[in-house]
Amino acid sequence: MSLVQFNRTLYRSGPAALSWPRQVRAGWWYQLKMQAQSGFVVMVSLVQPLIFASIAMADQQAGNRTLPLLYYALGAGIMGIWSTVVFGCGGALSWQRHQGMLEPLVMVPAPLVVVLLGITLGTASVGLYSMGATLLWGWLVFGAHIHLVDPLAFVLAAVVMIVALGLLGLVMGSSFVLYRNADALSNALEYPVWLVCGLVVPLSLLPGWTHYLAYILAPTWGIESMRSAALGGDPWVAMLWCVVASLVYLGLGIVLVGNVERLARAHATLNFQ
Amino acid sequence: MSAVTVQRANRTGNFWRIFFVGGLISYRALFYWITPWQYIPTMLAAPLFQILFFVYLGRATGVGSTTFFVVGNSIQICSMSGIYGMTMALANERQFQTLSPILATPANRIALFLGRGLPVLVSGLQTTAFGFLVSALILNFRPSPKALPELALTVLVSTASCTGFGMALGSLGLRARDIWLTANIAYFAMLLLCGVEVPLHQLPGVLQVVAHVLPLTHGIAAGRLLASGHHLGAAWPYIWEELGIGVAWAVIAFLLFRYFEREGRRTGSFDRL
Repeated sequence: MSLVQFNRTLYRSGPAALSWPRQVRAGWWYQLKMQAQSGFVVMVSLVQPLIFASIAMADQQAGNRTLPLLYYALGAGIMGIWSTVVFGCGGALSWQRHQGMLEPLVMVPAPLVVVLLGITLGTASVGLYSMGATLLWGWLVFGAHIHLVDPLAFVLAAVVMIVALGLLGLVMGSSFVLYRNADALSNALEYPVWLVCGLVVPLSLLPGWTHYLAYILAPTWGIESMRSAALGGDPWVAMLWCVVASLVYLGLGIVLVGNVERLARAHATLNFQ
Repeated sequence: MSAVTVQRANRTGNFWRIFFVGGLISYRALFYWITPWQYIPTMLAAPLFQILFFVYLGRATGVGSTTFFVVGNSIQICSMSGIYGMTMALANERQFQTLSPILATPANRIALFLGRGLPVLVSGLQTTAFGFLVSALILNFRPSPKALPELALTVLVSTASCTGFGMALGSLGLRARDIWLTANIAYFAMLLLCGVEVPLHQLPGVLQVVAHVLPLTHGIAAGRLLASGHHLGAAWPYIWEELGIGVAWAVIAFLLFRYFEREGRRTGSFDRL
């Protein structure tokens, strides 16, 4: 029996919790394929980040400050990931309900949070397109010097940040569902997070009170960690904070999804449109 | 009074009824963000955060003054209404399957078409006025009081011009399968191309040519001149150009509307989604 077959047997015959990673992985892969077919997602994760990267890098070349182009290329990439998360995950539960899929998803033996985790992680992973696109764009069009000081730490930081954003997406999806106009909320949340997390504007330029908001948002630590790995510096402390933020989001997500499921069952609104 | 005079008076009355009443009804029916729960986050909060984001990006790159970004973005945010609103006002008729009944009526097409632009224009002016007002309150944007009426005129012309462009996109929506993707790309491309965030001379030659046929480019240039203390005479050429471009886009839009109406009748494609 090969290791893969052994794992499959274990997952299928063991306690239910053993099959959760498989369910998350299946949801993640399915969501990734589905999102890649959406014109809107392609716009948000490819076209929009390229436009913002072009603006930031053109301003950098026209201006008199000396932050490197890679700084802006990375920031614009994460802006794209955030946009994908805020639109894709923010409305994830609402969308399932709108499509009449929430009822079957609640009915399956797997916990709803496990099902949703696959969806939100898949959505956040689609955002990686934007990171690749802005780095390539910066190199091809603006002549950005793409040299990563610590490539391994950079890749690890990117993975940690995607997971953190997927978990933040879980929190958003389960709280936005209580708000009938979740899409409007997503519209309003794009720019503030880009700004507060210091994705293309250094945090030192922002008023002090915004820093407290920045500290509880994973993109702040994600970009800090990736920039340190790419441009030089210690990426590990920021990465650790990103992991801590992820665990907090996971805890919050479990509570919120449970709450939403309980309320939706009690009020019979699983299929409410 | 002869029968011909009565008929002519009725026709004129009908024209204005369709223009004003029809325009208002269509706005209420088709503008998706009309409720406060949608309007405030989408039409006020998101544009406000856009202004803040780019003002701080300007400070980070050292490319322009606060006035440069406040004027550019405050005028550009009228396209939230001009592009998205106008696209909704025309293309949503097809989405909601009401296009065929409307085009079966003998209503004057110019009144039917232009009437939809008026509420969108007013909504765009509100958004821009809000952008300027909040910038004055929190970003210390202080144009000379003498320049305010002239700035208001520039904003009116720019918003009207952008509405003309939005009409063209909306007309395309009578035929195109996914006009929202085009509208989204147009909105973000205008940030880059119309000199909103990047000085025009910084763009490659081809993009500068494109910028000159797009709405807002000249209006923003005029607005910046007026806000920095220049007299109206210096801004007039830009205002006239903006007006000319707006009229040209409105004419193109109407021709597209009539063309797609004829094609729709011929091929029965009004309700085909």
